[in-house]
Amino acid sequence: MNSMENIYVCLVAPFILAILCLKGEGRKGLLFLLAGMTSCLLSGYVSAFAAGLAGTDLLTSSHEIAPVVEEVMKSLPLLFYILIYEPDKKSVISGTLRVAVGFATFENVCFLTSYGTSDLLRLMIRGFGTGAMHVVCGMIVAVGLFFIWDRTWLRAVGSFALLGFVTTFHAIFNVFVNQTGAVFWIGSAIPVTMMLTYLLFFRRKTDLA
Amino acid sequence: MIERIENALQIAVLLACVSVSLYRVAAGRSRMWTLLFFFYGSWVLGDIYWLACLIFFDQTPQISVVSDLSWYASYIFLYMLLRHAAPPETAGRKRVLPWTGVLFAVGMAAFFMQWGKIVSNLIYASLMALLLYSVISRFQDRKKYTAQQPLCIAVLVFCLLEYAMWTSSCFFWSEGPENPYYWFDFLLTVSFVFFLPATKKKVAE
Repeated sequence: MNSMENIYVCLVAPFILAILCLKGEGRKGLLFLLAGMTSCLLSGYVSAFAAGLAGTDLLTSSHEIAPVVEEVMKSLPLLFYILIYEPDKKSVISGTLRVAVGFATFENVCFLTSYGTSDLLRLMIRGFGTGAMHVVCGMIVAVGLFFIWDRTWLRAVGSFALLGFVTTFHAIFNVFVNQTGAVFWIGSAIPVTMMLTYLLFFRRKTDLA
Repeated sequence: MIERIENALQIAVLLACVSVSLYRVAAGRSRMWTLLFFFYGSWVLGDIYWLACLIFFDQTPQISVVSDLSWYASYIFLYMLLRHAAPPETAGRKRVLPWTGVLFAVGMAAFFMQWGKIVSNLIYASLMALLLYSVISRFQDRKKYTAQQPLCIAVLVFCLLEYAMWTSSCFFWSEGPENPYYWFDFLLTVSFVFFLPATKKKVAE
């Protein structure tokens, strides 16, 4: 067992206990967070396997393989939820965001254990950059689903298209934050800027939850 | 160098189109404008990723799945836009002529497979076939539904320019302005703008 699984076990244990105790919406919310964390763990394995298969280095796989794998893995719990439980629009949208938050949380914890907690600036960039990026990707899917939900064919085809959209956004972000200087800062600021734009201009239009 | 300039120009035009469609979404919460925004957005993200790889790594993406995914998404959003614009009874009729679009897409895919990857060619061909089928079937109803015609024309021009680009890339490999690929790409950039008035006309109907 490597440290990623140890972190996972430690992190999800209270979630599992709480899920056993709770019912209804509370349980559903925690289940989505747990699914997000599990997706993140599995993404690590699949990305490493795919990078080995393609013979790419770490930098190349960070923007060519990891975004595709991570976004697909994040969508799988939701796909399961939509296909099995046939939920309403708002449940899927809030679920999308919760999976994204769970994913980002687990990734951030892994980052903390790897790089330490002494540099606050670096941690803030991580939190409001990469962490926020996963939430922004979730928001994009949620807003997209909000507009295309009505018809079944729109939902099925549109979900795949939204996945392609967020994968590319994720890949561009990874390219930018792997650079130095101004490009790194611009890349890190993109998610928060997008989130603020959404809150200022579009929140009332969509009313996601 | 010309590829970077051309890409940068296309990104600039598309970002302007994204801004306009986003403004329309914010102003009216229209599904058509949202789909157009996602169409533009997907395309420009693919372009930005491609250009970022050229600038920061001095090469095109090695695996190229990411950009392709983005452009697949664009075609899907465009198809959804077209399908949303047309009344259901128009989309449901069975006709022979629209199948020529499908045949054309299949034939061209078989031709392109001599150079490109099989899977990506098949996906592009499927999406193009969908678009061409939809456009041609809607052209047949042009007398009854005039408001959707500009959108259909914009989509058809877009598809033909794409095919012109792909075909020229099979025969011309130079990186200078004499390569027709760049000229077709420039025309494609111009064609993006026409989706805005076409969508506006349909929304205003």
